Amino acid sequence: MMDINNGDEEEFEFSRNYFLAKESSGKKSTRKISDIHLVDEQELRAAVAKIEPKHEKETIALVNSYKKLYPRWVFELRCGFGLLMYGFGSKKALIESFASTALAEYPVVVINGYLQSINLKQVMITLAEVWWDQLKTRQRTSSRILQKVQQPFNSRSVDDLLAFLDKSEAEENDSFICVVIHNIDGPGLRDSESQQYLARIASCSNIRTIATVDHVNAPLLWDKKMVHTQFNWYWHHVPTYAPYKVEGIFFPLILAHSNTSQSAKTAAIVLQSLTPNAQSVFKILAEYQRSHPEEEGMPFDNLYTISRERFLVSSQVTLNSHLTEFKDHELVKTRRRSDGQDCLYIPLTNDSLEKLLSEINQ
Amino acid sequence: MTTAAAATDSPTPVAPDITENNLQPFFVLHQASSQKSNKKSSRTAKTRRRIDLSPSLTKSVENLEVEKADEGVDHGYVNKRMEAFESVWSKMESTIKDVLRNLNIGVFNEIQRWVHESFNTIKSFGTPSFPEATQPFPVVKDATSKQVFTGLVLTKNMEFVDDLLTFEELGLHLKSQGYHVANLSSLDFSVKNGIGGCLRSLLRQLVMVTLDAHDISVLATWYREQGNCNNPVVIIIDDLERCCGKVLSDFIIMLSEWVFKIPVILIMGVATTLDALRNTLPSNVLHHLCPCKFILGSPSERMDAIVKAVLVKQCSGFRIGHKVAVFMRNYFVSQDGTITSFIRALKIACAQHFSMEPLSFILLRFLLEEDSQVLQGENYGLPPEVLLERAFDLPSYRNKIAERNFDTLFHGLSELKKLQNQWSTVLLCMHEAGKCDKIQLLDLFCEALDPESGILRVSDTRKGLQKDSTVSPSNKDMHKKYASLQKGGFICQAIRKVRDLPAMQLCTLLKGWEKHTVDIPEIHDKVKELLSLVKFEDSKSLKRDLIEMSKRPASWSHLNLEKDSKAASEKAARLAEFMVGKYMQPLECIAFHEVVCFKNVDKLQAALIGDPRRRIQVDLLEFHNIIQCSCCRRHGNTLLPSMHDSSIMHTLAQEHGDLINLHDWYQSFKMVILSSSDKGKHRLKHSPSPKKRKVTTEPAKLSEAAIQARFCKAVTELQITGIIRMPSKRRPDYAQRVVLGL
Repeated sequence: MMDINNGDEEEFEFSRNYFLAKESSGKKSTRKISDIHLVDEQELRAAVAKIEPKHEKETIALVNSYKKLYPRWVFELRCGFGLLMYGFGSKKALIESFASTALAEYPVVVINGYLQSINLKQVMITLAEVWWDQLKTRQRTSSRILQKVQQPFNSRSVDDLLAFLDKSEAEENDSFICVVIHNIDGPGLRDSESQQYLARIASCSNIRTIATVDHVNAPLLWDKKMVHTQFNWYWHHVPTYAPYKVEGIFFPLILAHSNTSQSAKTAAIVLQSLTPNAQSVFKILAEYQRSHPEEEGMPFDNLYTISRERFLVSSQVTLNSHLTEFKDHELVKTRRRSDGQDCLYIPLTNDSLEKLLSEINQ
Repeated sequence: MTTAAAATDSPTPVAPDITENNLQPFFVLHQASSQKSNKKSSRTAKTRRRIDLSPSLTKSVENLEVEKADEGVDHGYVNKRMEAFESVWSKMESTIKDVLRNLNIGVFNEIQRWVHESFNTIKSFGTPSFPEATQPFPVVKDATSKQVFTGLVLTKNMEFVDDLLTFEELGLHLKSQGYHVANLSSLDFSVKNGIGGCLRSLLRQLVMVTLDAHDISVLATWYREQGNCNNPVVIIIDDLERCCGKVLSDFIIMLSEWVFKIPVILIMGVATTLDALRNTLPSNVLHHLCPCKFILGSPSERMDAIVKAVLVKQCSGFRIGHKVAVFMRNYFVSQDGTITSFIRALKIACAQHFSMEPLSFILLRFLLEEDSQVLQGENYGLPPEVLLERAFDLPSYRNKIAERNFDTLFHGLSELKKLQNQWSTVLLCMHEAGKCDKIQLLDLFCEALDPESGILRVSDTRKGLQKDSTVSPSNKDMHKKYASLQKGGFICQAIRKVRDLPAMQLCTLLKGWEKHTVDIPEIHDKVKELLSLVKFEDSKSLKRDLIEMSKRPASWSHLNLEKDSKAASEKAARLAEFMVGKYMQPLECIAFHEVVCFKNVDKLQAALIGDPRRRIQVDLLEFHNIIQCSCCRRHGNTLLPSMHDSSIMHTLAQEHGDLINLHDWYQSFKMVILSSSDKGKHRLKHSPSPKKRKVTTEPAKLSEAAIQARFCKAVTELQITGIIRMPSKRRPDYAQRVVLGL
């Protein structure tokens, strides 16, 4: 998720111009988010937890209306397709209700793609074990294959595991494991390697996939080979309008996360615990940064000279001890300027800096 | 299944342990229930259902719809249709495979001969001595013996996915000759795994071991030991262009060093041109290759062959309607472009047909077994009277008056089959005629399916027949019919082509027609008649030519000859028009066609092409339509506070450019959700339901924290759907709109 969000700023600029040409962007507001009177983060989180759902009755009716499609979905799975559910709203409850009622005959393994990291090798081992149990219960076939499998699954290679899951038995082909993947476009699965593994799992003859996507660009995750020959998607549009409760757990709240007032506040708290001299040194740096917004930072020698002039430090050693303190609290950072000189800067935006200065000056 | 029905009553059946599972990366939801017997026990359910169903005969169509869905729950009945699908689809699938294999078999044989010759050449360089063969490093020889024979297979198709099967089949073909074959793909040549990746795959396929240390000497040892020395090792790489050039170069250099000990022959699929090789590999690697070129059939050839075998000829009995055919053609021509997706669309259509059309199961038994008894048996899980009722209620039969019994149904279906065969025959004849004009069978197929032009065609012939009962139609009628053919259509074009054919080609065309029309004696005779005429003229002209040779110039005979052949092709063209008019009755004009024909193009499109980019936005913008709530019907463009928060936010975002000022966005959101305090009271009067009252009175006491929380949650939801991005460091006060416009 993060690399999609933060990366390729330039590329974004490029496509932006194209779309802007089509849209009338009109007036552009320059209001700051700090102008909103933001409530405390804890209070905000408590309020988020208390949000009441709207249209509860109608959404329940909507989700229930999908229930009569369950037999069709099972039919499609049995035909060999993978089901891909999309539409606004969390589809987690819907799919799990489908799996636990209509797919009771088949073993079901669920992958929570909205989580940050998922070990697909572990998933494959579990799938192999589940399939193994399935084979064992069907005693007719067991004797033959049982002998071939000696190694425990967790020491086998991915290729072996997939080959085991792909092994077809002529006797009964209406037997398979269902793999439910919530958010196959989720942050933990969004890289191409994971998608390749998932595609290989999905293409095994003993596996059927039921996946959900929420991102509008989810289809870009797959090439034609994956779509047509491996996943074999059968699309279903099933908006639920259910809140993305678990799916949204790892998303920062936009009004609580690292925005100006919040970071200024924490910085102020740290600064106030330092000595007045240290605070004054910090102010010098802050003033410099405000008056030279285009520069990359303040050279150390510069800071030392001014601090010494104002009798804030007596030697470089004392200044260094202040700076160490700042750096430990991430109030100040160093970076190399284009001329090769190391310089100091405060990792805050100008707005936050202003707020911070006004707060410690009180 | 019965539990599914029961679950409808309780709103959301969530087991308590599921919440804990939410934070597990993965977990086993449940094992297979031991109730495999479910299917069998449903027999009893079936009998119960039968009793339930009998009074349904009087029910309205609406009720019938509900019941149809409901009926899907019955296992026995579903299994019958599942069975039918499996048998029909496996038939189609194997037909497609056969068709493709037959198309490629020429090239495959050519490749196989070349592999054989190359292997002999490698052997002629000598065989390594015993100590040479057993040492774990390559034998250094002169440059010529370091060449790797490389077959470059030009696929003439940018879509490598269509050729995956081709290379798989090629592998099988070569394996059947006793060669050691390994199929590698571009995924094996990735930067990440380096040369180890392809070696691992190679060893896995040939030596059948998975080792941690990947060493080609393992392969050399295996090749010596197993008595494998009599056959070459063939390595097939699907898609040259997608391989990492560096890894592929290393691989080729390694093979060239070992080629004396392991006679490897490379085969690579090339989607573009031979230049690709030069672009991918450096020159020092290129001169290790001894290339040979092979060319596969073009995608359009394959498409024609598939359409012919699966859709035109009676392959499985399953058919598609005109709209579906046009959609599939357009999807192939202008969207996806792969035959693989065309086949997949066909499979989805087939699955939908059997899952939605209650009578689809008849297709399998009846069309293949040709026995009226099959219909009457109760082996469909559907009582006979219901079956009849359904059949006579099909739109294609609804208005016809006839006795409603099994005989009528049986005759109807036989007629359907007969007309279908005739239709196919004529279509094949038209394709034969259009071939020299490069008319695609798929285009002809779509046009011939069109029920509207079809009605015109057929009714015109009827008129013609009334006037002139002798089957050979008069010139006048023919002209009328000609006008009714779709002007500029493909069929029309093909017929025009016939008219201009020179004698020789006409003869081949007629021979083709003779083959196709065996089942329609009426046409078959005419074709034969025409053929004898042409042949006669042919031999006559041959004689004349001989005479002319001796006494030149004899321009009069030449003129005469031309006139003769012109007359023959004119006759052939008229015959073609006659065939089209009389025998090409589109499927959708025939009674009971619903049993075999899939027509629901919207359903197919929805299943084949999900359109999340548009649909998710529509979900947000028009949510009140989907959710069917009475309170949010939009009055003009006003946003109501009762609407879904994300919906309000998304609608508000439309007013911004690509950057949304968070402050403004928040303020307008706040305004919308607070706006109800006065409007809400106003609305209260005519919405007395307690729920709405709750919604409308609540906002008055909304705290700032609650509003900010709802704002945050809505932003998160829009972020999950990918419609907006979080503010970047450079622009902390702006969220970015990623999706602009539907």
